[in-house]
Amino acid sequence: MPDSQPILEVHDLHVHFKMLAGIVRAVDGVDFTVERGRCLGIVGESGCGKSVTARSILRLLPSSDTRGQILYHPDGDDEPIDLVSLDAKGDAIRAIRGKDIAMIFQEPMTSLTPVYTIGEQIMESIRQHQDLSEEEAQNLAISMLNKVGIPDAERRFGDYPHQMSGGMRQRVMIAIALCCEPRVLIADEPTTALDVTIQAQILRLIRSLQQDMDMSVIMITHDLSVIAQLADFVVVMYLGQMAEKAPVVELFQDPKHPYTQALLRSIVRPDTPPREQLHSISGSVPDPRNAPSGCRFRNRCPSVHDRCVEDPPVVEFGPQHSATCWLYVDE
Amino acid sequence: MPDTPILQVENLSKFFPVQRGLLRRTVGHVKAVNDVTFTVNKGECLGLVGESGCGKTTVARCLLRLVEPDQGRILLHGERQTFDIASASRKEMLDVRRQMQIIFQDPFSSLDPRWRVTDVIAEPLMAQKIGRGEAGRRVLDILPTVGLGPHFADRFPHELSGGERQRVSIARALIVSPPLVVADEPVSALDVSVRSQIINLLLDLQSQMNLTYVFIAHDLSIVKHISHRIAVMYLGRLVELGTTQQVFEECKHPYTKALLASVLVPDPTHREQSYVLEGEVPSPLNPPSGCHFSTRCPFAQEQCSAEEPDLRDMGDGHWVRCHFAEELDLSEEIFAPQFDTPTASN
Repeated sequence: MPDSQPILEVHDLHVHFKMLAGIVRAVDGVDFTVERGRCLGIVGESGCGKSVTARSILRLLPSSDTRGQILYHPDGDDEPIDLVSLDAKGDAIRAIRGKDIAMIFQEPMTSLTPVYTIGEQIMESIRQHQDLSEEEAQNLAISMLNKVGIPDAERRFGDYPHQMSGGMRQRVMIAIALCCEPRVLIADEPTTALDVTIQAQILRLIRSLQQDMDMSVIMITHDLSVIAQLADFVVVMYLGQMAEKAPVVELFQDPKHPYTQALLRSIVRPDTPPREQLHSISGSVPDPRNAPSGCRFRNRCPSVHDRCVEDPPVVEFGPQHSATCWLYVDE
Repeated sequence: MPDTPILQVENLSKFFPVQRGLLRRTVGHVKAVNDVTFTVNKGECLGLVGESGCGKTTVARCLLRLVEPDQGRILLHGERQTFDIASASRKEMLDVRRQMQIIFQDPFSSLDPRWRVTDVIAEPLMAQKIGRGEAGRRVLDILPTVGLGPHFADRFPHELSGGERQRVSIARALIVSPPLVVADEPVSALDVSVRSQIINLLLDLQSQMNLTYVFIAHDLSIVKHISHRIAVMYLGRLVELGTTQQVFEECKHPYTKALLASVLVPDPTHREQSYVLEGEVPSPLNPPSGCHFSTRCPFAQEQCSAEEPDLRDMGDGHWVRCHFAEELDLSEEIFAPQFDTPTASN
């Protein structure tokens, strides 16, 4: 097991978008650390800011107002780089993006261009970051396709995305992301568009590549089962705020935030009695433009209290376990 | 519950022609639904599961005759008479639709954005030639049943959240008081915290209004929760049919086993189950010969690619389409461990 050395540290991240209807605080105060060789899971419902957090790490949101620190620790004893301070279109971030930190997007259909073959798309990423000849790049691309489990890779190299199934396209996305041997892989809902049997294949692939390449993974999903199967450490987000963070076993066995507790209760488990009422959370996720003040979960929270109109404090339950909630503070 | 059939599907097939070239010549057929037979009993929920492309949505659309079936009979036992939906006339279909409605998957595209909620819900009544005043009254009656206040009647779909829209779709299906409702992936487009609300609503409505459901979904844990019986489809064919207990605990088809094993368990201390099925669903345009699953089946033998197995009764209403259903040992041990289990200390 690798030492717990941080590779990426996010401190007090805020990402705001100015819209005609007002300011959307998509991410409001998020803190977490990704350790070398480990998998961090970010879980939340639509609009919770999980994808915005991921994209802001790679500076893919140039028109936003991003504040806070995202410290990337390259290999060796070099000083950490604050990604937030880099020019989003500059050479410094472009050298990191795709090489040190790579990303897999949710929809393999729309994130591959239809007009180039998949081989050309993998080679583009290789030749952007590595000084290789056309032939060397092609060999590397074919070996990557083999590695992600595409049968008959040499022939599929010349295929266009429309000639492949959804599972195969997601494998191509992973091959593109991994061809420069990144230190950190950000996977944004990599299996949401796929069938269960293919989902199991892709998750197993990510897991084994993570171990082979000693890579860190940030797994972003709405599915608590994916988190339970893959993550070492979990951040639960709700409407741009961090509700709770904890090691995965602690989170599932001893959740502290009422939102985490309600989410875990509402999922169907193998031992849930059939056809009985499920626990549910009342209401639905509000529009982020009209998010409640103070704790953003308060109008759906079963333990709501007068204090919740004010910003809740971060309460520590252990060295790595904290929840942002008033419930554990005495009056 | 006495088993009185309300819907009998017999040898249902739907082949879509594939046309190529300038003259649009038919070069083949996608056998989306191939010789499917099942019965739905009054008051029960039949779950229909399978991966994308297995034909489950096409079955749903044939049941409502939103696509024309090519072969087979779909018998709907109504209160006064029995209809064969596959060959019913337009006039008969009007009666059929009073007894059978559908809830679609995506509440964002299945509601017309220019219509108010009240008009959306009243549309089936308009089709049944019920007057506007009466229709408006019935809409106001049904809104609280699906958990919406009367003020929702004058809203437009864009003012509603995903869960509220799906409640409107449910109200639209139930406004004609149909005994039978087909729900095609009714919760897959919803947020996790809203999903359980809609499942609870569907369960409540079933017991209150004595409804019968055909429930289509790819999320097996939800199907297991809501269904009395489950039908598993693979490449247009039914491969296993039985009670939830038979299909989940005593399944006899290797595909069902693989499908169940690939369900992720929401428990970080159980990371070992997932057996991973190799390969992908073959093209339905050119399915493998013999048993369609033979190319991915870990137990396949010569006979499997040569002969197509029949759907056979294994007793107690448990039907399986596999040559070796009696002999296979589908116990846990044959499935390789997938991930290491973390300890509580990390």
